[in-house]
Amino acid sequence: MSGSTIKIIIGPQHPALKEPERFILETEGEYVVDVKVRIGYIHRGIEKAMENRTYLQGLYLSERVCGICSDAHTTCYVQGVEELLGIEPPPRSRFIRVIVAELERIHSHLLWLGIAAHEIGFDTLFMYVWRDREVVMDLLELVSGNRVNYAINTIGGVRRDLNNGRIQKMLKGLKILEDRTKEYLKMIGREQTVLKRTVNIGNLSKSDAIKYGAVGPTARASGVKRDVRVDDPYAAYDEISFNVIVEDGCDCLARIMVRGREVLESIHIIREALKKMPDGEIRVRVKPRIPPAEALSRVEAPRGELLYYIKSNGTDKPERCKIRTPTLANIPSLCKMLVGGYIADVPIVLAGIDPCFACMDRVLIIDKEKRKAEVWTLDMLRRYGREWYQKR
Amino acid sequence: MVSEALNFVLQLLIFPGFLFIICLAFFSEWVLRKFVARIQNRMGPTYTGYGGVLQPFADFIKLLGKEDIIPAFAEKSFFTLTPLLCLALPLTAIFVLPIADHQALISFEGDLIFLAFTFTMLTIMVFLGGFLSGSIFSMVGGVRAATQLLGYEIPFLLVLFGPAIPASSLSISKISMWQAQNNAWGLWTQPIGFGVLVICLLAELELLPFDIPEAETEIVAGWNVEFTGRRLALVRLGRDVELVLASAILVDLYLGGPQQVWIIPPIVIFLVKMFACLLLIGYLKTLFARFRIDQVLSGMWKYVIPAAMIQFIILKLIW
Amino acid sequence: MSREEEILEKIKERFGDNVKNITIQRPRRIFAETDMKYLKEILRCARDELGFDHISTITGEDMGEEIELIYHIAYENAIELSIKTRVPKEDPKIATIIDLYPPAGIYEREVHDLLGVMFEGNPDLSPLLLPDNWPKGVYPLRKDVSLEEIKAIIEKGGEEE
Repeated sequence: MSGSTIKIIIGPQHPALKEPERFILETEGEYVVDVKVRIGYIHRGIEKAMENRTYLQGLYLSERVCGICSDAHTTCYVQGVEELLGIEPPPRSRFIRVIVAELERIHSHLLWLGIAAHEIGFDTLFMYVWRDREVVMDLLELVSGNRVNYAINTIGGVRRDLNNGRIQKMLKGLKILEDRTKEYLKMIGREQTVLKRTVNIGNLSKSDAIKYGAVGPTARASGVKRDVRVDDPYAAYDEISFNVIVEDGCDCLARIMVRGREVLESIHIIREALKKMPDGEIRVRVKPRIPPAEALSRVEAPRGELLYYIKSNGTDKPERCKIRTPTLANIPSLCKMLVGGYIADVPIVLAGIDPCFACMDRVLIIDKEKRKAEVWTLDMLRRYGREWYQKR
Repeated sequence: MVSEALNFVLQLLIFPGFLFIICLAFFSEWVLRKFVARIQNRMGPTYTGYGGVLQPFADFIKLLGKEDIIPAFAEKSFFTLTPLLCLALPLTAIFVLPIADHQALISFEGDLIFLAFTFTMLTIMVFLGGFLSGSIFSMVGGVRAATQLLGYEIPFLLVLFGPAIPASSLSISKISMWQAQNNAWGLWTQPIGFGVLVICLLAELELLPFDIPEAETEIVAGWNVEFTGRRLALVRLGRDVELVLASAILVDLYLGGPQQVWIIPPIVIFLVKMFACLLLIGYLKTLFARFRIDQVLSGMWKYVIPAAMIQFIILKLIW
Repeated sequence: MSREEEILEKIKERFGDNVKNITIQRPRRIFAETDMKYLKEILRCARDELGFDHISTITGEDMGEEIELIYHIAYENAIELSIKTRVPKEDPKIATIIDLYPPAGIYEREVHDLLGVMFEGNPDLSPLLLPDNWPKGVYPLRKDVSLEEIKAIIEKGGEEE
């Protein structure tokens, strides 16, 4: 191809992306030589909106930052607000928060496993995993009353309690999930076509993972032992013992394995939490006005470290509420992973960080589609095609 | 004389000609879709007809009614020609294969070469159609189809001509007749060849794990991304006919073709064998993840071509 | 002495009065203030000598006359040190820190988009979150930009070209 590069635009609309985002890949033949990222297609201005709403309204807004990790967002938000108020939620509510957070992690990881399988063309696994995802969604409905956007957290505790019947049903569901996940992990480890597409693909070395600030499963798949649940415990995580799953593969297979094994670990955490859960109140009443203070709250969302910085000014509305989502933190590492790989590997590498673009673009305003650059690129390609054809 | 000619025309148009083949193509698509869906724990088509059996036909009609768009950057002639040839080439190729009788509709010494020629033509049309439809995705898809051809064409031709050696004929009808009469199915006498042919047909049909030219998550729909309306309908019907063609080749060259067993007519035997092959292809399709283009090429050259050659050498030594 | 206190002592010892109001708000949270002149030096010291190898994010906030930037950096993923510094709103300029923390580039782009702070030395400050035809000089997260103004811009579909 005479040494020139072709620009391949992935997104804003593309089957490999579940949400609108644009990646401009400079390619030479089948190799990717450069990546540019343009986000912001689903900007909704949540940070600005939070400044104009009360703390309680802000809670529901934070729930809607992301559909899949909505519980992580509300947990992080209410923890920040509780810190501003200087109150401690009741112990039972902290355990319920752990249970919902881990169920959400199982859901998110299973969903991701299905998508990852779809990206490498393994639709059979995709269908099977998504069938089992129904089990965990039912469990979430059992606990919170909702299949998505669980709305379990509130400032000062949680909204719904668990009773014995629900706990029994939950243990039964967890058993199914455990068996199925073990089965899938065993299968993935043996299936040659999956290994061919994931081993040594999208490498991110340990030093690069630290340098480019990778978080969550992406970092842990590169051997970086970082998990907010252990390093900076919140809710009831300091009362439950569990392992931080780390893989040294640094490639896409390691990312699959980390998430798969985290599902098993989450099941273990939920069982522990159900066992250790104390009786008592599930929420305390709070005042709507919050004294001037600032708080930095962190949570391990399914995709990695989630951070809220909240500053109050004595009224019922926050002065500033800053959200940093894990996907944004993983973008620099993603660009590093893509360069030098094949076009065919782009989808699985992209999926490897489990991107959640709705999370990432929360700050402001809907973007308009950028027509100009796209037309230019097509035009350039057309010319290129014509010239190539005439030369033959 | 007149009645003979009329008979031939009827055979050509109705049975086992166009109408029968096209119905069979729609039905095979339904069988494949339903089978794959059941394996994957899904329902598959359910609404149109009994168990959704009319769904492929409904899809076809729907596509015919859709808007027909020619991209401004596309080469019009090739853009029009590709869908037509995508249907016409496999349909023509099917006439040299014996289906209802042990004699094909059109049969001559050397029709095996004609079959090989149509297959290669088809891939070249896919390449040109994709390359000249003016979209980057279709261009990459077209280039991938052509690259993949480099990998599977040699073993494909080797195993296609393998069964011709024992039957010492280049006519497909004679080969299948010879196998049926001597009870020497290619599947038993040259099993490696059968395996290689299945792999090559998966690549030719662009099914998993070789659906690289139209990998959905990578390059959207690959070479056929720009086709809409009638063109897409023709392309899709062409794919279904290709599916029938591929299964029919397996049956005629390696499974003895349509043979009369007891009082069961040959067409029934043929259909049974054909759907067995179809289900085999469908089963393989669900088992794998997609390979990458370089992995296909190196795999084909490292393992499949040597396997085909070994089969050929063994054949030459025996016969 | 806990780890937090050790870090606090080290910073105090090293920078003296250049770091103000350094407090341990609660276990694993340290807040500090400094002048923009010393920011880079403190960050370099934190990264090289104290082992703060991860930048969580940069928060920008409109304080009226000035814009406050908070650099949240983490030590072994556990202790979050938030260093605050201020730049004048009239001429919001500050040196980039991508040479210290490469991922900071994307956070600087975000702050540049929403609050209009120029990060000198950052090679790519193109819009990250806002549309390309967003009017120049309107920084939506500043307090003087009202919701109505933003709504009007969206309804108009951005700046005409």
